[in-house]
Amino acid sequence: MTVVPAPWWRIGWRNVGRNRRRSLFTIGGLALAYCAVVLMTGLSRGMIAEMIGNGTGILSGQLQVHAVDYLPERSVHETVGGQDGTDVGALLATLEEDPAVEAAAPRVYGGGLVSAGDNTVATELIGIEPARERRVAAITRTGLEGRLPRSGENELWIGREMARQLAAGVGDEVVVVAPAADGSLGNDLFTVSGIFSSGLAELDARLAFLPIDALQRLIVLEPGRIHEVAMRVADPWRAPAAEARLAGRLESRFPDARVRAWTEFQPEMVDYAALFESVEWVIVLVVFVMAVFGVANTMLMATFERRREFALLLALGVTPSGILRSVLWEAVALGGVSLASGALLTFPLLAWWHRAPPDMSWLYGGFTMAGGLVRPVLRVEYPPGMMVVAALALFGTAVIAALVPAVRAGRVPPADTLQGR
Amino acid sequence: MSPTRRRTTRVLPIALALLGGAPQILRAQQETPAEIVDRVDRLLRGESSRGRVTMEIVTEHWSRTLEMQISSLGTEYALIRILSPRKDAGTATLKAGEEIWNYLPRVDRTIKLPSSLMGSSWMGSHFTNDDLVKEHRLVEDYDISIAYEGPRGGTEVWEFDLVPKPRAAVIWSRIRYRVRRQDLMPEWARFYDERDELVRTITWSDYRTTGGRLVPLAMRIQPADKPDEHTSIRYESLEFDVNLGPEDFSLRRLREGTP
Repeated sequence: MTVVPAPWWRIGWRNVGRNRRRSLFTIGGLALAYCAVVLMTGLSRGMIAEMIGNGTGILSGQLQVHAVDYLPERSVHETVGGQDGTDVGALLATLEEDPAVEAAAPRVYGGGLVSAGDNTVATELIGIEPARERRVAAITRTGLEGRLPRSGENELWIGREMARQLAAGVGDEVVVVAPAADGSLGNDLFTVSGIFSSGLAELDARLAFLPIDALQRLIVLEPGRIHEVAMRVADPWRAPAAEARLAGRLESRFPDARVRAWTEFQPEMVDYAALFESVEWVIVLVVFVMAVFGVANTMLMATFERRREFALLLALGVTPSGILRSVLWEAVALGGVSLASGALLTFPLLAWWHRAPPDMSWLYGGFTMAGGLVRPVLRVEYPPGMMVVAALALFGTAVIAALVPAVRAGRVPPADTLQGR
Repeated sequence: MSPTRRRTTRVLPIALALLGGAPQILRAQQETPAEIVDRVDRLLRGESSRGRVTMEIVTEHWSRTLEMQISSLGTEYALIRILSPRKDAGTATLKAGEEIWNYLPRVDRTIKLPSSLMGSSWMGSHFTNDDLVKEHRLVEDYDISIAYEGPRGGTEVWEFDLVPKPRAAVIWSRIRYRVRRQDLMPEWARFYDERDELVRTITWSDYRTTGGRLVPLAMRIQPADKPDEHTSIRYESLEFDVNLGPEDFSLRRLREGTP
């Protein structure tokens, strides 16, 4: 039999099995660390996605078009296309041509009063095209009673809190007053067509929706004059790219129209996302620094037990670097098995959690973050980047933790050790 | 105050009195600044009044002229009814104490203005609803001091500094108010925000004796940040101490017509 020196990685791999119980504990620890990091990141991504999805989806949309001077003053006169208005149908068609844009809805805004009986509240009036708005703003799906206003009718759709303050219900007549674009005081009778409850108290108290044509009549704007087009983009993070595409497309036909992504008009959400991401890195660091010490302990023990063996190998002519490599390969093998177990443990859990986020409403209610509603569910999103980073960190941990024991193993003094000194 | 200045202030009124000039000034010297401002208010207002006013509003986007009838009783009540243009004719505003009610003839409803809208524009003009409610409450809401007294452009004037009292619910952080000493006629008032930047200037002019009183018949309000915009009002007629009582400023009267 010819003695072929086994490659060091094979020796390392076999050494993993020398003390199975200890190896299993180490593998379990690393696998759990991987699982914890990936799940925590997934949870944090879920919370960000929840915040951004709801925050932009409830009303603003992920993309908006305004006349270039409309923001920040929101003057009623600054309509797309200026005083003459624009071809709203053509504008909507142009916007919906973009692959990321799923729906677009035109809007007119006005500030005013709603009055019922002796009660009067200040309100932001939003003129909508109900059929289109249903596909853009999630708030249109939060109706409690009644229905959305119908185009062509003097109907008003108000929030629950406003309805309470007005002591008005579905079918009641209210007066709507708003300063008109020609300086007169627009006023007319409307019927409450429905009441919504968005979950955001401020919106429920302040907003009143009416058909876009009714608001244009009230505040004396021609039918072609609109203040905003709001758009829905399914994945909010695709909105900035769509913004760039649309800006080019609008330039020639609608020169005064300016398109903005939510990252511009709700920058606080971007900041929140960045904050969460930095917290994720802290978590990765903490978890794996802890793991380093755990693995180092195991490897120190394993190499200490094998001092006589290393001494013998050295005495037989094996180089110290060979010893060092065998220990490092052992660590890599440990890391590999840990990663495989970690992945086996994590991915099904992640997939299950992603599909069926546990309802936590028994523990806490919904809350708002940067203006976006966060439902009381533990939503998890896949963090593909972090899965890779955590895998590399796990490997790195195993190798770094093995460095000191490996170097020490290579420096075992053969004669002294074999003599039992 | 320097000793010289103090002597001047003491000597000046005596000298003027010896010259036989203006007993009004002598009397005013004994008054506090607040009392003077209050007296200016009373002069302008009378116990009750009724007048016809033309209001010209010029904004960046539109201009319009409103004709209206204004009645007032003391500091508590005022009723404004728009006579033209036709679109707004009949629209009326009632001020009763701190409350403002609007009557809208098109829908035949009266609406009480919520307090959150006190700072917003009245009928699209550069006047705020607050101006209607608070204009005659200077003495109650502000600490008043004299910032300058002496000649300005050949006329002896006072310039008052009005600073809100600690708990006054007002939006201005300071008002500078110039009044002519000879006849207590206001020349202008400048309104400053919390950064002490000029927000708007009200200028009075066309001082005439009408209804037995000397009053400025024209007034112009100029927002500082929009030099091309302004609101001017002009009294076409004005009577004082007319026969009006609180019952003429009821919600029923708001709906029915001008007292």
